[in-house]
Amino acid sequence: MRQAVAALFGAGFTVAGCYAAGTLVIDRLGAALRRDERIPLAFILGAACLHLVIFAILALHIAYWPVLVCVLAGIIVFSLRGGISLRGTAQIGKPVPPLVWPLRVVFGLCAGAFSILYLMNAWAPEVSPDGGGYHLGLVARELRDHGFEKITTNMYAMLSQGVEMLYVPAFAIGRHSAAALVHFCFAIALALAILAYGRRIGKPWAGAAGALLTFASPVVGASGSAAYVDVATAAIVFAVFYWTEIWDEQKDMRLLIPVGLLAGYAYAAKYTAFTIGIYALLFVVWRTKRLRPVLLVTGCALIMAGPWMARNWIWYQNPLAPFGNWLFRNPYIHVLFEHSYAASLRSYGMPSLWPLPMELMIRGGSTYGIIGPAFLLLPAALVALRYQAGRRLLLAGALVFSTYFANIGTRFLIPCLPFFSLAIGMAFAESAPLLGAMMVFHAVASWPPVMKRYVNLNSWRLVRFPYKAALRITPPEKFLMENSYGYAGARMIEEHVPKGEPVFSMTGAADAYTTHDILVSFQSASNQAMADTVNMGWDDELQPSMQRVFRFEARPTRRMRVLQTAQAEDPEQWNVHELRFYYQGKELVRNPSWRLRAWPNPWEVQFAFDNSLATRWRSGEIAFPGMYLDADFGSEQMVDEVRLVTSHDFERVKLRVESMNASNVWENVAENPKLEAGMVPSAIRLMAISEMRERGVRNLLIYDSNYGAADFAKDPEAWGLKLVARGEDVRLYRTIW
Amino acid sequence: MMKLDAKGGIWFEKAGKYWGIVAGMKRRLALVGAMVLAESGCQNMPEPYAPPAQRPAVEKFHPYRMQAIVSMSDDDAQAHFVQDITPLATSSWRWTGKKPTVRVKARTDEELRYTIDFVLPEANFRETGPVNIAFLVNDRVLDRARYSNAGDQHFEKPIPAGWITAGQDITVAAEVDTLSAGPPVAPKLGIVLVRIGITQ
Repeated sequence: MRQAVAALFGAGFTVAGCYAAGTLVIDRLGAALRRDERIPLAFILGAACLHLVIFAILALHIAYWPVLVCVLAGIIVFSLRGGISLRGTAQIGKPVPPLVWPLRVVFGLCAGAFSILYLMNAWAPEVSPDGGGYHLGLVARELRDHGFEKITTNMYAMLSQGVEMLYVPAFAIGRHSAAALVHFCFAIALALAILAYGRRIGKPWAGAAGALLTFASPVVGASGSAAYVDVATAAIVFAVFYWTEIWDEQKDMRLLIPVGLLAGYAYAAKYTAFTIGIYALLFVVWRTKRLRPVLLVTGCALIMAGPWMARNWIWYQNPLAPFGNWLFRNPYIHVLFEHSYAASLRSYGMPSLWPLPMELMIRGGSTYGIIGPAFLLLPAALVALRYQAGRRLLLAGALVFSTYFANIGTRFLIPCLPFFSLAIGMAFAESAPLLGAMMVFHAVASWPPVMKRYVNLNSWRLVRFPYKAALRITPPEKFLMENSYGYAGARMIEEHVPKGEPVFSMTGAADAYTTHDILVSFQSASNQAMADTVNMGWDDELQPSMQRVFRFEARPTRRMRVLQTAQAEDPEQWNVHELRFYYQGKELVRNPSWRLRAWPNPWEVQFAFDNSLATRWRSGEIAFPGMYLDADFGSEQMVDEVRLVTSHDFERVKLRVESMNASNVWENVAENPKLEAGMVPSAIRLMAISEMRERGVRNLLIYDSNYGAADFAKDPEAWGLKLVARGEDVRLYRTIW
Repeated sequence: MMKLDAKGGIWFEKAGKYWGIVAGMKRRLALVGAMVLAESGCQNMPEPYAPPAQRPAVEKFHPYRMQAIVSMSDDDAQAHFVQDITPLATSSWRWTGKKPTVRVKARTDEELRYTIDFVLPEANFRETGPVNIAFLVNDRVLDRARYSNAGDQHFEKPIPAGWITAGQDITVAAEVDTLSAGPPVAPKLGIVLVRIGITQ
């Protein structure tokens, strides 16, 4: 029970801090807001400001819980002294008629029921895959380190963490559930903001319908009651739009400050939300035709987004990390990985996007979740174009939607739902009974027991009402074991892996529940290289089974390279286990004065020169003409043969050997290498694990569903491993030595 | 109010002043931007690398010493017992009979060594006097030793090539020539065994 109270307190304290910070800014700006607008907008604006404060605390490495508590308490006390109230102290917005009782009843009952459902799920121990994974895993790590650390083995650590910054104080006080409850508060704030906007434009029924369509949407419920960031992003994005409307009405330049701050915060919350900043800038340009307001919005946006870009540029040599690696090349993410990852996010394994609408609204098995069958009415939203507010909503929604096809997961639609929901509401604004019926239909269709009758069972959604787990009547350990996919692996690691040691895994574990670094096979270039090595033990496609041999007339040379001249097709890259130079049948001894270069992926060139058949240099990009491996011998050497030890998992690569002459010009030496069989060492498994150990990793977590899992399980000793622990579907191995 | 100038630039009017971005300036900005991006991409390229530490050749690849040793403290120790080792467990040792024997398996037959740690307790030693112990691998005597003092003992010796086949069961034993009486109605006692097996 103490944990339950701590979670509530942690979330409540953080939310109060956000609200207090927001009221301070709003009152200073002199924004005239109604009470029903002020509550959600102050919370969201305050969240943006508080996120920057937490960022600074982490950057200064002073993230101790007393510091966090004092900062939050200080903001709250400062606001209280300034007369914080729900009504505000500065300006009161233009009054609007009270909501009529049928609207209150329909909206209140529907939204109330979903609020309780979401509250219980958020309050229960965190079981969501990403919430219990990287979102809170990174927060937990930042709190352990008392600040930011450069993490090069996890691409998620390179993403901006605008919303997660708010999870830091909540987690410090109330652990995982407190963070989820903060996100739940964003869901409430979003619904209140949409409702308030409907009243602002004189269409309260449209506002209520828009609020409920968004709030009761199944994917919003699943995300909004977990420690994700999608619903918070939607709230921030909608707040940007809302503030542009307020500014447009009040024509006070100061009101562009929240527009800019929130536009930057939208980027800090989720990169793909940057488009709302474009909307804000276009809107300001259109309404003012002046540069200064544009600069004000841009400057304020940079205050929020800039620190994240700067951090990434300094640490990862890429302000857009973990994306944009073809432009900002770096050793942390392979270009080909980004390419393949982005392609997978664009399709989610769907051969065609024609079924996507049904998938998003009704089935949800491939894109993980549904927005609800009521959104089949989306085409009717175009009717809202007849209103000025409708045109603005649809334009903003379209801009936010424009990045959706970069990731077609259902939850990536959440940021544009408020706009489309409101537009649907406006389309039927003249018919309150119709909107009432639509709200009831949406609520019923989105209620979990009803929904399970029509969605795909793989669809991500709320499936339980865990009030006993929320109140900790059900022990958290039991609840987590039964409902969290990665929790068993995380506990296994906590119990059996010596403190401070990392664990390598093909698919990861619930990072937020372990203090160990989990190196997941795909999450960085170095992890990918390690996975490539480990998989080499069982996958003969990757093994050094081939040699490409160039023989030519002996020649003196100081520098030689192997040049790749063909264009391969996706996803074929060029791989080299070892590159060896010979004279009269004897290999040139690799001398410390040699200098090795590669293009692309120069950072891993040493893998082709380490004398290990369990490592290989990979181009990290689809093979293209001009790739090379280059060895400068430091002094003139006689060479008559060049051998590349390779796998046979690439075919379209064409190679030639070149030598640099005295004029520093490359000369063609040999082409068309002779293909010879290579000998895969019988100890290749042991060699693979030996390489893993050389890189400081002794522990390996393998799920039964991982490729190669049976090989490890059959004979761990052949790998130099011993089985340390075994769960229902996961095994933990450790090197024997 | 926004105006276009003759050069194609955009001008913004504000309170009698002009805030302008001329077309040339835009081009220069674009050029500078492109150079900054290109520069930032190029500056990421590392200096050439020296060859790394060379891994041992495949035929010399022994990342660790193989061990097939049964410690009496192991949870699964009893699964290796063949004969003459008491099933009564203590935390780290067990009484044996005349010829304590364990069964182990080794993945390799290269450079293996017999190893045993045991104790000759003072009280029993007073009864038996000096004892002779034979050390056996697959029932072949590897060596014999005479122990004239009580206390902790360790014996280790390379196993000749051909005695062991990689991947097959191996019996490892020690045979004591003189036993002490032990308690009434209990078997006679040999040595206090701590660990026995083969290592590389």
